[in-house]
Amino acid sequence: MKTVAYYKGCLASLSAKELDTSTQALAPRVGLELVELESVTCCGAGDIHEAEPDYYLHLNARILAYAGQVADTLLTVCNVCTLNLRQANHMLQGDADLLDRVNENLKTVGVPEYRGNVEVRHLLWEIAEGEGYELLKQAAHKGLKGLKVAPFYGCQILRPSKIMGFEDPDRPWSLERIIEACGGEAIDYPAKIKCCGFPIIQAREETAMGELIQPVEQALEAGADVMVTPCPLCHLSLDAWQSKLEAATGKSFKLPILHLAQLVGVAAGLEESELKFKRHIVDPRPALEQLQV
Amino acid sequence: MQVALKIWRYDSSSGERALREYEIDAPDEATLLDCLDIVKDRHDGTLAYRKSCRMMICGSCGMRMNGAAVLACKTRMYEIAQAGEVPVISAMGNLPIVKDLVVDMDPFWSKFKAMKPYLQPGYDVPQDGREYRISQERMNVIHKEALCINCGCCVSECNAMESDPEFLGPQALAKGMRFVGDPRDAATVERLEQYSGPHGIWECTRCFFCNERCPKGVDPRDAIAKLGAEAISNGIDRDMGAKHAKWFIRSTETTGWLRETELVPKTQGIVSSVKQMKFAMGLIKHNKAGLAFPPHVARDVGEARNLHKLVKEQDRQGAMGHVQGERALARLAHGHSGEETLDEIYERQGAFTRPYLPGEGSAGGQGSLTQADVTPGEEPTKKPGGGA
Repeated sequence: MKTVAYYKGCLASLSAKELDTSTQALAPRVGLELVELESVTCCGAGDIHEAEPDYYLHLNARILAYAGQVADTLLTVCNVCTLNLRQANHMLQGDADLLDRVNENLKTVGVPEYRGNVEVRHLLWEIAEGEGYELLKQAAHKGLKGLKVAPFYGCQILRPSKIMGFEDPDRPWSLERIIEACGGEAIDYPAKIKCCGFPIIQAREETAMGELIQPVEQALEAGADVMVTPCPLCHLSLDAWQSKLEAATGKSFKLPILHLAQLVGVAAGLEESELKFKRHIVDPRPALEQLQV
Repeated sequence: MQVALKIWRYDSSSGERALREYEIDAPDEATLLDCLDIVKDRHDGTLAYRKSCRMMICGSCGMRMNGAAVLACKTRMYEIAQAGEVPVISAMGNLPIVKDLVVDMDPFWSKFKAMKPYLQPGYDVPQDGREYRISQERMNVIHKEALCINCGCCVSECNAMESDPEFLGPQALAKGMRFVGDPRDAATVERLEQYSGPHGIWECTRCFFCNERCPKGVDPRDAIAKLGAEAISNGIDRDMGAKHAKWFIRSTETTGWLRETELVPKTQGIVSSVKQMKFAMGLIKHNKAGLAFPPHVARDVGEARNLHKLVKEQDRQGAMGHVQGERALARLAHGHSGEETLDEIYERQGAFTRPYLPGEGSAGGQGSLTQADVTPGEEPTKKPGGGA
């Protein structure tokens, strides 16, 4: 078992609780012991980085400091958390003067020192290679029986690649590898590495919807039964805003969107009480039942 | 070496489009641009593309290779040819194609011009008759933005612009930051008001394609984030995007986690959010929205609140609070073994010019001749690696 500090982030704590329950249930089967962080806050989601960048840095340093108390790896389940924490971590690890200044401030408010000892990793990376991948292959014993799955990466787990650095941002392979290890068929389509529109879905809904429609339409055209994403923000726009896309275009999509931990969870035989598909706007259960997964 | 290319040919007068394959013999050191020259000179004189300097300065030869915008003159073909790949070459995205690989840059230039991309001076001329000096710390804020060569690679891939062609986009906004961050410019507030319009700063969708594609390391998305920080610190925060961002700060200070349910009314205002009621009811039905009872509050959230107060007092406002990240990012961009010092990395062949780093040089902390010059008792210091 690899012990990791588990950072849920906002969505898995609130509107996407199904991501938390499926991650918690899946973790031991892929060799991860989750130590949940309780004193941590929101990472700022790129918004605080844009509004008050110095506060953003301190807020993320505080999360890293608490993570460093329990493990060397901080496990994330959200693209946006991953980028914000990795970006802050790179700056702090690469600049001793900056780390000193931030630590001085953390000390003043009673936060433990951050020693620069933490690596921020998304669940996707933990199970796409190495020990996690070997365990995943064993865990996914029920298989997906050829289910056609559209991988949707989203942006902030691929770019900027100098911060993320796990895989080629233009030709990623991790989701496809996991889908296939679970017995599904990964389908290909161009928008899988593009934006879902979520960051501006409230402030510029029309522009966001123009982005959102691309993966939904393309995945369905390529024959997808379901879509999987490693990001709960992508999930929210793809799942919840799909009805608005339907209203705007007069088309019917009904494309079920699964969180990564749910897709693997289905193959690993997790229960509905852990997967919580009833919390989805587009219910994935008919697509899964139809194929007798 | 043998190089094979597939090139999308296009004629806007007839609308004809075809993928043509070419096989050429090129020197091992050839770039994509050299290969296109060989195609045009020896195989097919009708091929159209733009070029000028051939050395990553003029920004003329932006195009796509396998769907990703590149400068043709910066892209070496050796490894691609050795791997037996046949890359697909096409015109940049988000701009109308004139012929083959040539795009119409008019929409690009009109956004560029709209930014008023020139200094509007308004600063106090020093009494001693010397030139006006800008601290290195302030220059760092616009260091990367000043590297832009207007090639359009960022615009080509901008996801928000695909959806809204009127979005000012990464190049224009990065250019805007270059002047907003210039302490000699007198039009900061007017600029920020203008750039905060419906197609401005807050329409960026944070897809980071611009940072990924820029061949000069401008990182336009970072420039847009700096503009956001400057707008908010100057009180220009009426846009829904700015309100959205401010609500995150409020949330971290109160419950620690995002107060999701209140995000819509705080961003869009009450009237707009009432219009969203039907949609919201759908979310509530699936437990996607609604008030959490008891409220989800992070333990020790007072620490976050105190941190916010503390950094506010320390007053690294707006873009000045943005870690420019040269020290950290140089390590990444040039591949760090963990053993080398930063100086050693910058001494490598092909490394970027060494930027100023805070805390270096003279005791005054500026490390430049000009600063030593104005600080009595400070001896002039040289930047590592020579210079003025």
